This record gives sequence, C-alpha cells and structure tokens, in this order.
Amino acid sequence: MSKNIISMRHIIKRYFIGKPNELQILNGIDLDVQENEFLAIVGQSGSGKSTLMNMIGALDRPTEGTYFLNGRDISRMNDVQLSTIRNREIGFVFQNFHLIPRMSALKNVEMPLLYAGMPRRERLRRANELLEIVDMADRGSHQPNELSGGQKQRVAIARAMANHPSLLLADEPTGALDTKTGRMIMDLFHQLHQQEGTTIILITHSPELAQECDRIVTISDGSIISDTGVTADAVH
Amino acid sequence: MQFTENLRLAFASLAANKMRSLLTMLGIIIGISSVILITTIGTSIQKTLSNTFNQIGASNFFDVYLYQDYDYEDMMSDDFSDEMPEEDMFTREMLDRLTETYGDHFTPMLQQDFGNATLRSVTNEEFSVMVTGELSPVQDTLHLRGRTITQRDNQEKIHAIYVSDLFVRQYFQDETVDPIGQTVDMTLSNGSTIDFIIVGVCETPELMDKLYAPGTSDMEKTSNVTVPLDTMLDILHQTQEPMMYLTIRWNTEYDPDMLQDELQEFFEAEYAEKPGYQVIVQNEQIYLGMINSVINVITIAISIIAAISLIVGGVGVMNIMLVSITERTKEIGIRKALGAQNSAIRMQFVVEAILICLIGGIIGIILGIAGGMILGFTAKSLVTTIYPDYAQMIAITVQPSVPAILVAVGFSILTGVFFGYYPANKAAKMDPIDALRYD
Ligand SMILES: Nc1ncnc2c1ncn2[C@@H]1O[C@H](COP(=O)(O)OP(=O)(O)O)[C@@H](O)[C@H]1O
Ligand SMILES: [Mg+2]
Repeated sequence: MSKNIISMRHIIKRYFIGKPNELQILNGIDLDVQENEFLAIVGQSGSGKSTLMNMIGALDRPTEGTYFLNGRDISRMNDVQLSTIRNREIGFVFQNFHLIPRMSALKNVEMPLLYAGMPRRERLRRANELLEIVDMADRGSHQPNELSGGQKQRVAIARAMANHPSLLLADEPTGALDTKTGRMIMDLFHQLHQQEGTTIILITHSPELAQECDRIVTISDGSIISDTGVTADAVH
Repeated sequence: MQFTENLRLAFASLAANKMRSLLTMLGIIIGISSVILITTIGTSIQKTLSNTFNQIGASNFFDVYLYQDYDYEDMMSDDFSDEMPEEDMFTREMLDRLTETYGDHFTPMLQQDFGNATLRSVTNEEFSVMVTGELSPVQDTLHLRGRTITQRDNQEKIHAIYVSDLFVRQYFQDETVDPIGQTVDMTLSNGSTIDFIIVGVCETPELMDKLYAPGTSDMEKTSNVTVPLDTMLDILHQTQEPMMYLTIRWNTEYDPDMLQDELQEFFEAEYAEKPGYQVIVQNEQIYLGMINSVINVITIAISIIAAISLIVGGVGVMNIMLVSITERTKEIGIRKALGAQNSAIRMQFVVEAILICLIGGIIGIILGIAGGMILGFTAKSLVTTIYPDYAQMIAITVQPSVPAILVAVGFSILTGVFFGYYPANKAAKMDPIDALRYD
C-alpha cells in the first residue's frame, strides 16, 4: 500500500476580472497522487495545466476545495509555511528554465539550500554533488547565458532536487528544447525517479513523452476528462 | 538566510549596474560630504581657537574676583565708602591653605613689579632690567635652559634669577657663555646691591624688538628678569599686599569643571564668616566655551540644511530600488518558488539599499574631509602670506568632527533602511505566480 502524497478534493480556481466576467479556470479537480508515481498531465494550451501545477506546488491557493500535501492542509497555510513547503518538499522545473541571470550555475543550485539555512561549506558540497548528478560538474562557474538550453535545464533540475524534495514538478520542461535534448532531459527524470525515488509530475505536449509515464491525466477546460489511473507497476 | 549572503548579493547587484549605482549614490554623497565639510570647518575653527588660546597661554587659568555686596541702606548712609577693608581681601595665608588642601590641583600666579634695577656687565658697562617677582612661572613657552622660578625658591627665599638670552648677551658680552649657576650683582631701586644666581634662561619675546627703533644696541634695551616674589619681599622688608583679584593656574590633568567647583567652594568657605562678600571664579576658557557654543549652533544649523539634500538622495535611492525591483520581478518570483520567505526577499533589498547609502556615505565622508583639509590649508597659507607676523600665533588646525562622521555613517544606514524598506516590502509582497509570469 502506497501513501497519498497529493490529495485534492473539488479544487476550484477563479480569477475575478470584475464581477460580471469572473473567470473559472479549474472546475472542481479531484486528484490523488501516490508516492513515487511518475505522472503526466496533458491537455490543450489554456486548459489550466499550469494553474493546477502551481496549486500543487504551493505557489497558489485554491479558491475553493481542499488540498492535502503529505497529509497537511495547504489551503490553510500562511505565507511562511508555504515557502517552507516549496523549499523543502517541492522542486520546480520550468519551460523557460528560470535560472537567475548573472549568477553562476553553482550559485543558482545553491539558492534553495541557502533559503533552507544550510551552512556555506555544506551548501557548496551539496551543490557540487547535484551538478555531478546532472552531469554539469564542469560548468559550475558558468553564467546562465553561457549555457545551452539543455544545459540550463539540467542546472534547473539540479536546483529543483537540492533539498531532496518529495515532489518534482516539471511544467513543459522540454517545451523549449529540440527533440534530442528533450530526450536527454526526459532520461534524467527517469533516472531521478528510479534512483532518488522522487514523485514526478510532468506537464507535456508530447504524446510520446507522456506515454513513458506511469499514468496520464488529461485536462480540458479546467476539468480532468481522463485519467489512466495508477498502473499496477507504478511502484517499482 | 545569512546576512553575509545578502551582502554578497547586494555587492553583486551594485557591481552589475556600476554607473547607475554611482548616480544613485550621488545624492547621498553630496548630502553627507556637505555635512562633513561643514562640521569639519566648525571643529577646525574651534580647535584653531583653543590651540591659539593655549599658545598665548591663556587657557588653564582661573580668575578669582572678590566683590562686596552693598545694601541699599549702607549705600545711603553718610559714611559709605566703596573701598574694601584690606583685612577682608585675599591673603597669602589663604593661598597657602589652598595649596595645602588641594595639593597639585592649583598653582597661584602671584606677580609683582619691583621696578627697574641696574647691573654692570663683565666689561663694566651698565644696563637696566625690569624686575618681576613671581611665585611660579606664568608662561614657560619661551623657556630655553636651566629651570624656572619655583614655589620652593619662594619658601626658602633663594636668590634665584631667571633671565632672557638678551640679558646673557648684555651681561657676559658673549653668547657662548653658560650662564646657569653664575652669580650676578643687581642694584635695586632702593639702592641696595644684592647677589642673585642665574637658574634659567628664556628666549627674548619677539615683541621686544618691536619696542625699539631698528639698530638700537643691546645695551640700550631693558629686558625682563624674574625672581622669587617672597625673596624679593624679604630683601625689601615688605609683606605681600592683600589682593582683590587672583590668577590661579589649574592642573590640566584634572577636570576643569571639578576644579572650578573646588575653588568656588574653597573661597566660599574662606568667606563664610564675612557676609557681604562674593567670590567669583571664572575660567578664561569660558569665553572660548561661549565662542564654541556659537560655532556649534551655526554648524548644526547649516548641517541640518545640508542634511535636507540627504532626503533628496534618499528619494533617489528609493526610486532606483523601485526600478530595480520591477526589473527583477522574475528573479523575485523564482526565489519565491525556490522557497524564499517574504522576510528574506525584504532583507535582500533593504541590505542593497543600505549598501548603496553606506558606500555613498563613506565616499561623502572622504570627500568632506578632503574638502575640509583643502580649505584648512588654503586658510593657513592665506594667513601666513597676509599676516606673517601673527602666523606663529594662530595655530590653524584641521580636524574632522568624529561625532559628525559617526552620525553620518549612522544616518546613511538609516536613510537606506528608511528609503529601502518601502520598495523591499513591495518586492516581498509580490505574488509568486504574477512575478514568475512577468516579462
Ligand atoms: N492571473 C490570471 N488572471 C486571469 N486569467 C488567468 C490568470 N492566469 C491564468 N489565466 C488564464 O487561465 C487559463 C489557464 O492558464 P494555464 O493554467 O496557464 O494554462 P496551460 O498551462 O494549460 O496552458 C488561461 O486561459 C489563462 O489565460
Ligand atoms: Mg502552461
């Protein structure tokens, strides 16, 4: 029996752009994700995938509904608690890498460790170790603008893995990369999934990449229209 | 998050925009440097005055005056006289008691003129001197050799004499002679000739030359000599006349305010049984104090005006911080996604604002001091060219005000906190998703 890492009930997200044209982006999402799952979220542009992902990653709060992450009610947490959750339990990987400019790869990877209050020496050791894992050890001193897209994404993945998060969230991580580089990034996710046992949620437009995952959730207009469910071999 | 990390970050961020950082600092630099310049000028004037006072030798003396209070009725009575009875005046015994009570705190400066005296040089030429009796030297800035007249000379009635180098030339007709320990015979105004031993030599005051037409020979000049007051009184069978006014030197190792109180108390006790008298102890430095407080007021007033430019500078810092935060919205979003707490973001930008202001402040302090130095040296060279005669006397000193520097550093930091807080707080409160979406 695996335990639920994510448990969402009737999540609704609305934007209020003036009373008459209130915009409902998520229409009551119910979603359970178990530990060590590798889940793909697919759907058309504007269907609400990123909005859902931000909710899962504690960057955003639902307008209605309940969300338990690792057994704790996220919708009732204050800003300080949410930032601690993002720091310790979540790793984000974005389509546009989102490395901080004019800051070396190593410094970028150090960032979550810094906010976790890790002492400098230990931080450096861990950051180098992470760069090693994503095969970027020799590029630690490089600035983001000196790296290729694939290299940037690998640094970003190293950064996301810094504090051993239980949940890795990747919003179209290969969207800005060519197929070959995208393939390498995808391999890296598989490696982390197997070696570190991290639960991964991946938003992708590529049916082939989605097919590689344990489970596929399809979203359309803010609702889940299909879910392949937990496959028998989800827990390796 | 550690403070040092914030500092590193802030430095990196300033280094990334060097020109902009410098322009932002400009307001702070101008504000701080003008405050420092003004206070440097203020303290330099004060220091120059007090050094000049010291040089003239007027700094560590108390003037003690005796006043008689008159009743209205006394004044109206027929036999009213405003002359003070001699038995009520200050006496030598009082001064002895003062020295007994307070030891080295005070040295009474009694001086009495004993008129002219004549001597014959080794070549038997006559020349005259002015004889002054003293308890201890009033001023020893011109001292050259040997020792000055001491209180012990007075107590033991030693026939000591303290002369000038002019006297040495007059008496020995030879400047290379060592006069210390030599005995000279001096014919006093009452006609008696007394032997004195030379104990010390001082330089002839420059003023001496100005008293005589150029070309006057040394033998025609009258120099000053000092002898122990009590020795002289003893020789002339006189006693010290009672006094209504005393000059008392105080030991600069002690706090002058404390000494002034001691002196006041001492004389009040002396006159406790003689009502109707009032003793007033004044320190010549009081005048210096008055001038100083006027300069202080002016300095503070102008500094406040200059400090207004600091507000302008602070607004400049705030403006640039707002621009910087807007530019770095995405970075703020990323940091939040990575787990930065609002307080960490706020601290990051406040530290950056403080750093801008602090660097600006330090540059301002350096410029202000440099400006003060330049002004000081200009003033010095002006004085030496315009008033060469007084150049020696006016001791121009350039001294930056240390409290002003400390206040300037503190004020820079405060400006940073005050004008950096609002932008930093704005950054801290950004919604992470909006910040990440921003481009
Ligand atoms: N702050 C916002 N205000 C209003 N509408 C928004 C806001 N953020 C997102 N949306 C809208 O929500 C919808 C879903 O967006 P998103 O979750 O980014 O879609 P996806 O990632 O599936 O392409 C879009 O139509 C988008 O325009
Ligand atoms: Mg999206």
